[in-house]
Amino acid sequence: MSISPDTLDAPLLAAGYSHTDGVYDEMSAAPGVLRPHWDALIGSMSALGADELVRRWKIARQRIRENGVTYNVYGDPLGMDRPWNLDSIPLLIPPSEWDSLEAGLIQRARLLNHILADLYGPQQLLRGGLLPPALVFANPGFWRACHGMPTAVHPYLHLLAVDLARSPDGQWWVLADRTQAPSGAGYALENRTVLAETFPDLFREFQVQRLASFFRSFRDHLLNLSPTRHDNPRVVLLTPGPFNETYFEHSYLARYLGFTLVQGADLTVRDSRVFLQTLDGLKPVDVILRRVDDSFCDPIELRSDSFLGVAGLVEAVRAGNVVVANALGSGLIESPAFMPFLPHLCQQLLGERLKLPSVATWWCGQPNPLQYVLDNLDFLVVKPAFPAQGSTPGMEPVFGGKLRGDERSRLIARLRERPCDFAGQELVNLSTVPVWSQNTLTPRRVVLRVFLAASQDSWIAMPGGLARVSPALDTPVVSMQRGGGSKDTWVLSNLPVEAVTLQRPRGQPLELNRGEGTDLPSRAADHIFWLGRYAERGEHLARVLRCILIRLTGEFGAFGTSEWDSLMKLYDCLASPHSRLSEEDPQGHLDQWRDLEQEILSLIFEEQRSDSLNAVLSRAARAVAQVRASLSSDMLRVASQFGAAHTSAWGYASTGEALAVLNRCIGTLAALRGIEMENITRGAGWHFLGAGRRIERSIQLVGLFRAIIVPLSPRTWPTLEMLLEVADSGMTYRSRYFTELQAAPVLDLLMNEEANPRSLAFQIHDLLEHCRSLSGRPAGAAWPVSKQAHLEEAAANLFRADVRELCEPGESGLRKSLDQLLAATGAALPALSDAITNVYFSHAEMERAT
Amino acid sequence: MIYRVRHRTTYDYEDEVSVSHHVVRLTPRNLPVQRCWESYVAILPTPPVTSSHFDYFGNTLTSFTMQEPHDCLIVEANSNLEVTAVAPPDFSGSPPWETVQESLAGSPSDDILNALQFVFDSQRVRSNAELAGYARESFPGGRPLLAAVLDLTRRIHQDFRFDKKATEVATPVQTFFEKRRGVCQDFAHLQIACLRSLGLPARYVSGYLRTMPPPGRPRLVGADASHAWCSAWCPVTGWVDFDPTNNCVPSDGHITVAWGRDYSDVSPIYGLLLGGARHKLHVEVDVMPLA
Repeated sequence: MSISPDTLDAPLLAAGYSHTDGVYDEMSAAPGVLRPHWDALIGSMSALGADELVRRWKIARQRIRENGVTYNVYGDPLGMDRPWNLDSIPLLIPPSEWDSLEAGLIQRARLLNHILADLYGPQQLLRGGLLPPALVFANPGFWRACHGMPTAVHPYLHLLAVDLARSPDGQWWVLADRTQAPSGAGYALENRTVLAETFPDLFREFQVQRLASFFRSFRDHLLNLSPTRHDNPRVVLLTPGPFNETYFEHSYLARYLGFTLVQGADLTVRDSRVFLQTLDGLKPVDVILRRVDDSFCDPIELRSDSFLGVAGLVEAVRAGNVVVANALGSGLIESPAFMPFLPHLCQQLLGERLKLPSVATWWCGQPNPLQYVLDNLDFLVVKPAFPAQGSTPGMEPVFGGKLRGDERSRLIARLRERPCDFAGQELVNLSTVPVWSQNTLTPRRVVLRVFLAASQDSWIAMPGGLARVSPALDTPVVSMQRGGGSKDTWVLSNLPVEAVTLQRPRGQPLELNRGEGTDLPSRAADHIFWLGRYAERGEHLARVLRCILIRLTGEFGAFGTSEWDSLMKLYDCLASPHSRLSEEDPQGHLDQWRDLEQEILSLIFEEQRSDSLNAVLSRAARAVAQVRASLSSDMLRVASQFGAAHTSAWGYASTGEALAVLNRCIGTLAALRGIEMENITRGAGWHFLGAGRRIERSIQLVGLFRAIIVPLSPRTWPTLEMLLEVADSGMTYRSRYFTELQAAPVLDLLMNEEANPRSLAFQIHDLLEHCRSLSGRPAGAAWPVSKQAHLEEAAANLFRADVRELCEPGESGLRKSLDQLLAATGAALPALSDAITNVYFSHAEMERAT
Repeated sequence: MIYRVRHRTTYDYEDEVSVSHHVVRLTPRNLPVQRCWESYVAILPTPPVTSSHFDYFGNTLTSFTMQEPHDCLIVEANSNLEVTAVAPPDFSGSPPWETVQESLAGSPSDDILNALQFVFDSQRVRSNAELAGYARESFPGGRPLLAAVLDLTRRIHQDFRFDKKATEVATPVQTFFEKRRGVCQDFAHLQIACLRSLGLPARYVSGYLRTMPPPGRPRLVGADASHAWCSAWCPVTGWVDFDPTNNCVPSDGHITVAWGRDYSDVSPIYGLLLGGARHKLHVEVDVMPLA
């Protein structure tokens, strides 16, 4: 049948979509002919029009950025926090096709679980010759410490992912099984959220199956795993930490499912039970959903070089006191070397034909498959059969056909020397799917990752998935690490779709829980404390820099020596160890002016400079990253603005731009404070945040007083004015004293006036309130009482003194007694801060004893 | 021989340790030629919970957690046991080594499966062509397996020097092979690596030597400490021990505590401390022949 494209009436957007010969295209059955389920979607999108698509997608991308959806790429200049790449066109799967996929996937989950249960138990499959022993015994993924665990009542695989590819004949094939700690379900959910919000009309029109019921079922499954306490089990999500490539997903899922996000150091094993170290002491943990590879989960019985795990976890599992999902050891069956055996195993174990085939795979650990791989190297991709052992990095898949002479012979030598370590796999000519790029649809290769969760005696498949597309049509590998993009996957339904939420089932009365369910790990408290300090330091810095920069421009541009001196005095308050200003007095005014301006720009933008605003806010952002899962999404949205001072070309920034950045930073930090005041429960986390803020602001104020008020100078008013401006108290001062600026009233307002929220007295008073609250908590036993007492005493001495007397000029041009009192308070503040950090941040490294 | 064995490990910590986790393998195995009458592990200070189970290889693994601050830890295992002297196997009557290697590909009986546990690379022992080359001198075509292993034992003893200062617990086999100096652990790892490089099963055995030699016999190297040696698998005889450090075939002077693929499967005592303390370690082993 031959159809001429121009006679067809393909919807607008699909016009000109190119069709590659010999490749299955998800959207078009032939040039210009759309598959029925796509025809309607492309029609509706065309009806919206290209301009509207562009407009909506712009908003969607903004949302992705604000939500902090990232995928960390190792060794990438963008590195951490690369924004998530999502395409606006979903991948569509019609109902009938999904039904058969689903059946195949559930069967596969049963089969893989069956195999794991046998290999970590009786090993009948080895005895019966159904699996070659070398496949298991030579496999570093087979963890002997996990053999014989009491897992009989639970599955090994609680969540698994399967990567699917479609060949030119339209058949789906399994490329890989992800049984270790599969990633992507959270990204799929986030993709869905964005698409559903961007195209609510389309979403309703197409009866797209919802994802929420899958997650609800998975959450209920995990809650029901609790081995001991059935009424109120504690489930935690164990993450390797913010440097992991999918950390965003860990925090996202933890919040969505309502589990506490923890790192290995937050957990401890006592009496063969796992506990979470919280601010309120040790809390028992019943179930661990792990995103840490099994080998890293316990440095005692698994990889001894791991710092990501929990010492004694294997013993706790063995004792039946905790359930780990997926079971420790489950990574074994990710090995592609199992694939050739699955059809036969399925027949033997389940008495069924394997419904969903794997891509043809040959494990080289047996003579005939090895020979086949050597003979057909040009048409195969060679992969490591086993996970990497120890610290040696694993081999990347190699395309036999792309190897040059010596590379080829080296690979052949390796295959012959260590055949067990390799598997050959047929290359799949991946199907293509349209992506929206430069206002038109273009084809890209696609791999679909689908997910299954254990549910009672079986598994359920998530009706959807994470579709990943290649960066270019001719790239054979699809991987987020290699810069590919992603798509939402719409599984269509013939029936009306019911909306589901993640709320608990109705009818079960909840126990009232006033106070707070603080599962805030102690480690998180430390990050929150420092978030408070960095945020406050950032604001102080921004205000000082703004104060100087304004005076370097416009009206203030020309000034005399005394103004210049006051400006330098304020600058000196920053006590920058990296100052770029030359020590010697520059020749002319113009140079001074330019040098100071450059210095201020550097202090705003220069990332390498540890005391720059940019660097301080980066540290605040890192603290946020550590505790993402405990912060509200509004707070995260505000924190995502911390990058305002990020720019690669700061040397070219104008003072106007710099002022705009400073104003934006001050606004962002004020928004953060607003959320803190109005939207956060007054729990331990809030007190730590507040204590951090108060300590930091006190330190800054003491520094300002010592630099500006302590030294006597003949014309102090410009400096006093700047001081009032930095401390945001100019209005109050003028309303009381009009324009007459003197040291004593300024100091009284900024130091002693408790009603002024910017005064030192206010900071100390509030700090001590936070301290009282924290030290009274169950975990407050170790509170640094003596350091707190030191501060209270120093502050009392300072506030007791008469401000007028303190401001009396002393000898040698200094207000000496003021200086001494300030110095005592100034020393007690960092001492208290250090002590708090020591108490709550037990990052005491584990030390090995052999 | 009947023995009383005392194995005492003392940790002195510079600073207090708040929490520490330990696993120990200090309980001798029961074997056809070794009967362990009694064995217990005493820990001071006493941990709240101590649990024991058989690990994958059938060794007794004891785990415990110290949950109170402590600056000293003593772990002492006391065992009473009897080891029966056995006549050395018929070295030259064992099957040619190539047929042993080939027999592993046969139908996976329990025996073969057991042997296959110990033929592949493990964490600390990786086979390679160089080691195969070294071993091959003892393995000319058709030589009976046990005769060949005995010769390899003799050559390793001859080519390598016992030197307590040359290596550490974590020294790789390859380093020992190049430096030619090390301790019993290195000798055993090397012999295992050699055998596996030829496709032959070999396992790591940890245990003790009798402290005082019988009258008129020299005192063996490795007494007064944990000892380690190698065991080779023969389809006819089963596992046969060889001690490359002392160039001997163990009999009733060797006491077997545990075995595995290499040291990391059987390390007598392993722990993690929370508190970042540096420690001094003191080990005493007493193997007293009673009768």
